Amino acid sequence: MKILKLTLHHIRRSPFQSLIAFFTVACSFFILNSFIFTNRGLSTVLQYFETKPEITIFLKDGLDQDTVQSVQKELSAYPGIKEIRFISKEKALELYKEMNKDNPLLTEMVTAAILPASFEVSTFNPKILEVIAQNYSGKTQIVDEIVYQKDIIKSLLDWTQIVRRAGISLIIVSSLVAFTMIFALIGMKITNRKEEIKISRLLGASKFYVKKPFILEGVIYGFLGSLIGFLLSFLIIYNLRQSINSFFQPIVFVQNLSLYELFLLLIEISTGVLIGFSASWLGAKRYIKW
Amino acid sequence: MEIVFDKITKNYGPISVFKDLSFKIEPGDFVFITGPSGSGKSTLIKLILNQIKPSSGDVLVDGKALNHLKKRNEIDNIRRKIGVIFQDFQMITDLTVEENIALNLDIVNYPQAKVLPRINEVVKMVKLQHRHFLFPNQLSGGELQRACLARALSIEPEVILADEPTGNLDPANAWNLIKLLQEINQNLKTTIIMTTHNMDFVESLDKKVIKLGKSEHENS
Repeated sequence: MKILKLTLHHIRRSPFQSLIAFFTVACSFFILNSFIFTNRGLSTVLQYFETKPEITIFLKDGLDQDTVQSVQKELSAYPGIKEIRFISKEKALELYKEMNKDNPLLTEMVTAAILPASFEVSTFNPKILEVIAQNYSGKTQIVDEIVYQKDIIKSLLDWTQIVRRAGISLIIVSSLVAFTMIFALIGMKITNRKEEIKISRLLGASKFYVKKPFILEGVIYGFLGSLIGFLLSFLIIYNLRQSINSFFQPIVFVQNLSLYELFLLLIEISTGVLIGFSASWLGAKRYIKW
Repeated sequence: MEIVFDKITKNYGPISVFKDLSFKIEPGDFVFITGPSGSGKSTLIKLILNQIKPSSGDVLVDGKALNHLKKRNEIDNIRRKIGVIFQDFQMITDLTVEENIALNLDIVNYPQAKVLPRINEVVKMVKLQHRHFLFPNQLSGGELQRACLARALSIEPEVILADEPTGNLDPANAWNLIKLLQEINQNLKTTIIMTTHNMDFVESLDKKVIKLGKSEHENS
């Protein structure tokens, strides 16, 4: 009787226990894979802002045309300037209305007078932005506020770190749950099949021979669980891809399919098999003593 | 396979089953082990299988003391050469008779291609050819005993240990089993060690007998 046949026989004999183990592993890998996709999207968002050096200088109200022009002239004098755009109060209102066109409540009471005019400056060299930010932060009589990409990136980075830490903790916990579940399940199955193991040992089966079906069972849970967990999260994410990407526009949060997904699948399956193998091997070692 | 009991004493707590029991079974022997209930017939089988350890003395199989085997797999190798008919059958209940036999064949690394023909051969030998697809709990006591024998025979063992193999059989089937064991012993030179308390078999066949008593033993 082949070992695989015996293993499948064990699985069939306690289908609900097997389903629970399989479901736990699949859940862990669903979480892992969803986290990997989220993390990848967040990295793209960060990269987008990092590669787009820009600073916005909001001007005080009531500045005359000459002052505004002299600021623009001053800014153009900096080296490595890519573009300087002046956003008047009227243009700011236009942009604001466009951004909130679906929410008339937010646009009703807003007039051009309450919005500040601003300069959006982009450079080829992010270091220049720092110099501009430093120089203009002191000019409080003409500058109301400076919004610098560095702040956005820092804030994004902080959020990304929080998401990463939470994700990693979740992965560790769910992997431990999957490991413990397989370990306990194999222990239970060994206890249930104690007589069979004893008989096999009396017929001359080695300890490894009687352990093999249980170890293989753990490997099967790890393999199938990781495969199904991956496919589920993959299908959900790629089905929602358009909506997610339009939300993050112009950033492509969910990337196009590439070899990366195949590589990820192989890595996740290997991890699943490793979890299943180590948990069931430890379970078999712990419970098969005779 | 030569089996030697060298001054074996076996105690279960304060109860002494044997004291200084010594005998030798040569390859090809047919040996009856007799004695009343509780005399240690099954204990003797368990000692040969190294399922239990003697309190003192050595059980030697082909010159190797089972108590002092150095390699872990040595006892597995010895067991693979022994076909056992257990008193309580020891069939795996959720495998069919055929699967039970196949499992034993797999354990002894029987060539895969020959497994099915061998199963068919042994079930035919014990007249279970139309019942081998059933589960043990679907068989009668006598059929179970024959299924056990089929499993033991399948591996072409050097020794067959039969612990009260006729206990659940009617007289006709019991005699058939004894005849079958005799044939195997004569034709294949397989050593047969059979425990029984049925003295009819012992007296009818001129075979070596090890008699066990409550607190004494004698070899003949």
